[in-house]
Amino acid sequence: MAVIAKDSLIGRRIPKMDAPEKTAGKTRYVQDMKLPGQLVGMILRTDRVHARIKRIDTSRAQALPGVHAVLTAADIPQKPIGVNKDNPPLKGDKVRCIRDEIAAVAAESEEIAKAALKLIEVEYEDLPGLFDPTQAMQPGAPVIQEAKPNNIAMVFDYAHGDVGAGEAESDVVVEDEFYLHYVTHCCMGVSGVIADFEPTSGNLTIYSNTQVPFLHKREFSEVLGMDPGRIRIIQPPIGGGFGSKLDIYPFEPIAVYLAKATRRPVKLVFSREEEFIASPTRQPAIVKLRSGCKKDGTLTFRTVDILLDNGGYTSWGATIPFVMMQTFSSLYRVPHCLYHTKAVYTNNPYAGSFRGYGNLQATFAVEQQIDKMAEAIGMDNLAFRLKNAQAPGEVTGQGMVFKSCGFKECLTTAAERSGYVQKFSANAANRSKPSARKRGIGMASMLHVGGGAKIYPSDGCGTILKLDDFAHVTLITGASEIGQGSETVLSQLVCEELGLPMSAVTVVNNDTEITPWDVGVHASRTTFIAGNSAIGAARKAKEKILALASKVANLTPEQLDMRGGCIVRAEDGEVVMPLPKLLRSLHFSDKAELVMTTNYYEPPSVHQGKDFKGDVSATYAWATQVCEVEVDTDTGIVKLLKVTAAHDVGRVLNRLGLEGQIEGGIVMGQGYALSEDMVFKQGKLLNPAFRDYKLMTAPEVPEMDISFIESMDGEGPQGAKGVGEAPAICMAAAIANAIYNATGVRMTNLPFTPENVYRALKGAS
Amino acid sequence: MSLAVEIAFKLNGSPVRVSIPATMTALSMLRDQLNVTGTKYGCGEGECGACTILVDGLSVNSCLMFAVECDGRELTTVEGVAANPVNDRLRDALVEHGGVQCGFCTPGMVVQSKWLLDKHPHPDRHQVERGLEGNLCRCTGYKKIVDAVCGAGGSNE
Amino acid sequence: MVERYVAAKTVEEALEALSGGDATVVAGGTDVMPQSQAGRLKLGRTLVNIRRVAALSGLALTGDEINIGPLTTVADLNEHDLIRQHLPVLADAADKFASPQIRNMGTIGGNVCNASPAGDLLVPLLLLNAEVELRSSNGRRRMKLQDFFAGPGKSHKKPGELLTAILAPLPKAGFTARFEKFGTRPALDISTVSVGIAGVMAYGGLQEVRVAFGAVAPTPMRGPATEHALEGKKLDDAAIEAAAQAAMQEVKPISDVRATDWYRRELVHNLVRKVLQDVARG
Repeated sequence: MAVIAKDSLIGRRIPKMDAPEKTAGKTRYVQDMKLPGQLVGMILRTDRVHARIKRIDTSRAQALPGVHAVLTAADIPQKPIGVNKDNPPLKGDKVRCIRDEIAAVAAESEEIAKAALKLIEVEYEDLPGLFDPTQAMQPGAPVIQEAKPNNIAMVFDYAHGDVGAGEAESDVVVEDEFYLHYVTHCCMGVSGVIADFEPTSGNLTIYSNTQVPFLHKREFSEVLGMDPGRIRIIQPPIGGGFGSKLDIYPFEPIAVYLAKATRRPVKLVFSREEEFIASPTRQPAIVKLRSGCKKDGTLTFRTVDILLDNGGYTSWGATIPFVMMQTFSSLYRVPHCLYHTKAVYTNNPYAGSFRGYGNLQATFAVEQQIDKMAEAIGMDNLAFRLKNAQAPGEVTGQGMVFKSCGFKECLTTAAERSGYVQKFSANAANRSKPSARKRGIGMASMLHVGGGAKIYPSDGCGTILKLDDFAHVTLITGASEIGQGSETVLSQLVCEELGLPMSAVTVVNNDTEITPWDVGVHASRTTFIAGNSAIGAARKAKEKILALASKVANLTPEQLDMRGGCIVRAEDGEVVMPLPKLLRSLHFSDKAELVMTTNYYEPPSVHQGKDFKGDVSATYAWATQVCEVEVDTDTGIVKLLKVTAAHDVGRVLNRLGLEGQIEGGIVMGQGYALSEDMVFKQGKLLNPAFRDYKLMTAPEVPEMDISFIESMDGEGPQGAKGVGEAPAICMAAAIANAIYNATGVRMTNLPFTPENVYRALKGAS
Repeated sequence: MSLAVEIAFKLNGSPVRVSIPATMTALSMLRDQLNVTGTKYGCGEGECGACTILVDGLSVNSCLMFAVECDGRELTTVEGVAANPVNDRLRDALVEHGGVQCGFCTPGMVVQSKWLLDKHPHPDRHQVERGLEGNLCRCTGYKKIVDAVCGAGGSNE
Repeated sequence: MVERYVAAKTVEEALEALSGGDATVVAGGTDVMPQSQAGRLKLGRTLVNIRRVAALSGLALTGDEINIGPLTTVADLNEHDLIRQHLPVLADAADKFASPQIRNMGTIGGNVCNASPAGDLLVPLLLLNAEVELRSSNGRRRMKLQDFFAGPGKSHKKPGELLTAILAPLPKAGFTARFEKFGTRPALDISTVSVGIAGVMAYGGLQEVRVAFGAVAPTPMRGPATEHALEGKKLDDAAIEAAAQAAMQEVKPISDVRATDWYRRELVHNLVRKVLQDVARG
C-alpha cells in the first residue's frame, strides 16, 4: 500500500489564490461593473468650509436631458451617520468642511452628470471658520455642531497608579509636544458603490467596497429605515482598504437614495481628486507627553495630553485614543500613567481609521522620549528599552495580559542584525564632521492588538465548510478579503487540518446573503479570529470524516489521519482510502449525508469598562524596527537606506503573504514619515493629486531585513498572531530617532519632508 | 457633446472600428466604450500607471492619450498580454514572488513590466526599479514586484 | 467644444488647420489631456493632432547644429546617439523626466510649447543656447529659446504658428554642462528647483558661462548675474560661494504647495555650490 508522509503547509511560501486572475486583468472591481440600466451618480460638494446654505436651486439641472434625479437634503430623510451620528448624508442647513455633500444627481452618462452639477445654484452665508483645534476650545469660538456647543466631540480619559508619586521618584523628566500631520490612504482603487433597489420587492443590493459588511448592513438599515433582511451587501474585489472602508460615508446612502428615486441601479465612483478631498484621512494629533525615569533607567511615570482635530464630523479617527492609550500605558512597564484626550470639532476634514489606528502617532511620541531619557541618564537606549520591556506573563496597569510576548527577542534581534549599538555610537561621533551627508540609525518598537479587539458586542467570525463528492472544499467565511491575502491563509489553515492541497479549496467571502457574520476586517484580527473559526470548522469536518473512516478501516479515529487527500493510518501514513471515495460512500449510502460544518469563533478577550481596563485582545503583537538614514544637510532630503525589522508574529503561517504585509507596511510608514502630506489652507486641500501628494515609488524602497520571532501564541491559529497593522507603526518614530542620531536635531513634527528637515537643521522658523 | 470621430485600430490583435468623442481619453474608450476593463483608472493624470497600455509596443498612460490618437495603431492591454503564453513567465513570477495583493495596480504593472522586459530582457534591479517608477502600488512596498520582474528576466538581483 | 478634428500628415495641413484660429495642437497629449480634463486648459474649436507629421520627427546633425524634430519623445532624447554624444546634458535631463510611460509619449516640442517654468528639458536647452523654428502660413522665423517664454504656460508663439524645429548648436570643444534637479527620487517629480551650469573649461574655471534655472521664476530663466560671477574665475571656494550667492539673489521664486520661496532660494544656493564643486573636481 502507498504511504503518505506527514507534511505541513505552515510556514511555506504560498502564492495568493486570486493573483493569477489579477495578473490577467480579469478581476472585476466595483469600478469595472456595469449593471443593466445602470445610471451614473455624482455628488455636488461645497466650495465653502463653513457656511449656512440659504438656497439651493436644482431646477436647471433637473431639466437637463439625460438627468434622472437631482436630490438635496430636502428630498431625503434627515438621518445622520457616523460615529457621533453627526453627519447627514446630504447637508441642508449648513456646510462644515470642504468635502460636504449638498446635492446629488443620477444621469445617463458621466458627461451629463457633470454638466448637471454645474447647473445647480447654491447661495451661502459664510460663517467664521475654525481651523486650529486649540482655538476650537477657546470661549466664544464658532460652534461647528450645534449639538456640541463647546466643540468637544469626544473625550477619552485613563489612569493607572499615581503620576505624582511617580514624578517624585524620577531623576529625569522629559517633556515634549509632538505634532502629527494629515495623510490619507490612497487606495489605488478609488471609492465606489453600486446601489440597486427594486421597489416592488423592497430588495436593496449594494455592491460595496466596505471592510465591515455586516455592520454596514445594520448602518444602512438604520439610515434608510429599512428592514435589514432586505439589504444585501456584495463585496466585489477591492482596490485597497487599509482601514478607509471601516465606516459608512455619505456617498453610500446617497447612491441608495438615487437608486430609489430613479428605480435604476446607480453607480457612484469618485475621481482621484474627489478621493483626496472626500475620503477619510489619518487622524492628525498634537501629543503632549511628559515621562520620567530613575538614574538606573527604570521608567517612573507618563502623563499624556492629546488634542485631536475632529474636523467637521465624527468618524473613527476620533476614537484612536482607545488604541493610543495601550502604547502609553503598556508598551513598557510604566507604574504610573495619566492620560487625557479630546477630539474637537473644526472646519477641517475628518479622519477615519487607518492601518495602525493611532498607534503610529502614539509610538512616535513614546519612542522618541525613550531615546531622550536614555541619553539624559547616559544609558545605551537599547539597554534602556530592554530594562523596561514587557515580558511574558506581565499584566499591565491597563489590564492587558501578555501570555506570549517576544518583545525582548524583537529588540535584540533587530539590534544585532543591524549592528545598532555600534552604528549608533559611530554616527553620533561623526556628527560634527564637515560632510554634507550624515548617517543615522534609529530604533522604535511597538505593541499592537494581535488577536482582535473587543469593541463590538462580539469580536467573532463565522465559517461554513462544505466538502463535495470530490473532496473539493468550499470555505465560506465572514472575513473580508481586501488584498491582504486572508482567503489564502484561511484556506491554508483548513488544508492543514484536512491534509488537502491548496488547490482543493474555493473561498466564498463576499456576500452577506451567504457568508456568516464577522465584525469586519480591522484591528489585525482576520488571521487570528477568522483563522481560528476556519480551523474549528475544519476540525469538525475532520472529526466526522474520521469517525466514518474508523468504521471502514476498523481503527479508532485517533489511529487515523488525513494526508494528501487520503485517509491514512496515523502511525505510518499508510493509505486507508482516498478521501473522495470516503465522502461518496457517505453521500451515496443509506445514511445519505454530506460533510458540511459550521463554526463561530469568539476570542477570549474582554470588553473594557469606562476605565478602559481589561484584556481587550486575545493576544498582542510586538515588533522592533531599526531604520538607517542618510541626511543631506544641503537639501534636507532624508534617504531611508535600510530597515531591519523583527516582528513577533506568533508563528509564521504563509511566509510569502506575511513578508508582503510587513514590506508593504514598512513602505507605507516610510511615506508617512518622509513624503506624504496633505497640505490644508483654511480647510482647503492644496494638493489633491499624486503629483504633489507623494507616495513612495519603486526606486525609493529601502533594503529590508525582516526577521520573524515565533512566540507560539497559545490561543492563536497554529500559534499565529495578527500583524497587518504592525509594520507601519514604528517607522516614523525610528526615522525621527535616526535623524537625531545623524544630526543632533530632534524632529518632533511630522512629516520629515526635505523643507521641514532643512528648516529644522537651519534652526530657522 | 464633443465632435465624434471614427477611428480604426488593432486591439490585442483584433481590428476595432469605433466612433468616439474627439476629447475622449484612450482609457475611457477602452473601459467605457469597449468594455475592456482590465486597464484601470487610478488618477487620470499619468501619475500612477494603473492605466498603462502598449501602443505600437511602447508603454504609455492611456489616461493621457487622446483616443483619436489610437487611429491606425496597435494597442495591447493587460488582456492582450495575458492572452499570449509567452508572457506567462512574467505573470507566474508576479504570482509566485507575491507581487500581487489588492491587484488594482497589477494590470499596469504587468503591461509596464512586459514593455521593460521587451526592452531589457535581462534587466538588473536598478533598471527594474526605474522601469516601474511610474507605477504606484499601495500594498506591496514594491520589493516583491521588483523581485518578480527580475526573476522573469532571469536575474535574481 | 471641439468642432473639428484634424489628423495632419504634413506641416502644411497642420498650418492650414491652425490658420482658422481657435485651435489646439496636440502631440503626445501628456500635458494637453490632463490640463483639459481638469479644466485648466480650454480646448479650441479645432483639435490638430500633429503626431503623424513625418517632417516634425527625427533628429539630425546639419552643419554645425543639431536639429531636433519637435515630435522627438523624451525617451528618444535619452537614448539617441546624437544627443548622448553631443548634448549629454539633455539626455541626462530626459532621464529625470516624469515616468517611463510619459517619456515614451511626451515630446520635446510639447515641453517647450507648454512653457512651464518647471519644464525639465528647458533648463538644459537654455544652457545649449537652443533656438526654436516657428512656421505659419506666412513663413518661418527663428527665435532664441530664452526669448520664447512669456510667462507660466505662455510663449511668444502666435496662434497660427507651429513649432517645427528645436535647434542646438554643436558645443565647442571643452564644453561642459550639468543639470541638477532637486528631488527625493530619480524622476516622477515636478521640479521644485532645477539648476543648470555650462561653459568651456579653461584655466581651472569656466569661460562663456551659461547658467539657467527652472521653477524659480515665471519662466525658465538664464542667470546673468551668476554667469558674470563665474566668467573666467578660477573655481575656488570663494568664487563658488560668490556664484551661489549671486544665484540665490537673482532667482525670483514663489511659495507654493511644493516649497516656500525661502527654501527655493536656499536650494538654488546649495545646488549651484554642489554643481560647481563637482565641476571643479572635473
